[in-house]
Amino acid sequence: MADPGYYDLNVRCTQESGNTIGEIIAVARRLGYSGIAITNPDNTKQIVPSASFDGFEIISGVEIRTDNASKLHGIVNKYRDRVDIVVVSGGSESINRAAVENPGVDLLVNFNIAQENGFNQVLAKAASENRVAISFDLGDLIHLRGGSRVQALTNCRKNLQLVRKYDVPFHLSSNARSWFDLRAPREIASLAALFGMSAEEAVAGLTTIPHSIVIRNRPPVGYINEGVQLVYKDADAGSMNEEDC
Amino acid sequence: MKLLPPTLRARTRYLAIEVISQDPVRREDVIRELFSSAGSLLGDVGSSECALRLLAYEDSKGVVRCSHDRTGNVRAVLASITEVKGTKVIIHVLGVSGTVMGATKKYLAGVDVFNPKEQSHINE
Repeated sequence: MADPGYYDLNVRCTQESGNTIGEIIAVARRLGYSGIAITNPDNTKQIVPSASFDGFEIISGVEIRTDNASKLHGIVNKYRDRVDIVVVSGGSESINRAAVENPGVDLLVNFNIAQENGFNQVLAKAASENRVAISFDLGDLIHLRGGSRVQALTNCRKNLQLVRKYDVPFHLSSNARSWFDLRAPREIASLAALFGMSAEEAVAGLTTIPHSIVIRNRPPVGYINEGVQLVYKDADAGSMNEEDC
Repeated sequence: MKLLPPTLRARTRYLAIEVISQDPVRREDVIRELFSSAGSLLGDVGSSECALRLLAYEDSKGVVRCSHDRTGNVRAVLASITEVKGTKVIIHVLGVSGTVMGATKKYLAGVDVFNPKEQSHINE
């Protein structure tokens, strides 16, 4: 089904990487994506606004990195209304836990690069309740070699088991730091198959799940205020309004 | 030598690929990288089961032959290639076909060499 299209919600495009937004869009489009979220780290202060280029969507986002779990909620609240996708870069178990317990967080990434797996059944339950998606970081499988890739695959396998058991929303991302790190959706799916993910699950992780995350953070067409919404009778007026947004 | 009867021949698939990079890369280097990536990801046993081979490669476009039930693994192998002799690349599978002719005609003929630098201005 081509309707929701393929999304990658964790792409970085900082000035330091030497890439322009145009290059990233050109490559992502060539690879078959219909939208990417540019999630630059919060300390770079480079937030790219949401935009749409004839059918290709750029979704504004931020990747929050902090070592202090108690500060995380404050930072999330700061960005929640400014961007469409709030991504938390995990690490220690306390950060991961704070992230999955906060419904304002959309996606938790980078939590299994460490030697021990930072995800367990307690976090899985919390993530499922708060609908915080966890990301399978396939960039690790692409870039690592040898023992560390074995470790990453093992962690992904374990996490997949928890995801299935507790019905945690998940996303497959290439964690691109530049356009060289992007991979086509089909290739991402076959990398996910290496740790036992079925083709249907992989497609859901690339299409419907990221799409639902993006939609829930965007006000509906004709939104005025909490509980107040313009309802159009004909489709023309609705589409005009979309362009204004 | 007598030809193998069709029922005994190895079944194959042909993957039409394009290499996206800033500078062109040579065929020999792509082959070397392909086998080293397969060896690292699947090991010797897995690589031999894939029966990988790079057929024609020209103008950043090529055809990879593999066993018919290993296309998924071969895609993963191609995805895990990050650079070819120091040049960063993306290997993009354009399509899979049962014959070389099919792969070439359907997916490679008429496809321009993709260069992100040239394409980027359209989106800005």
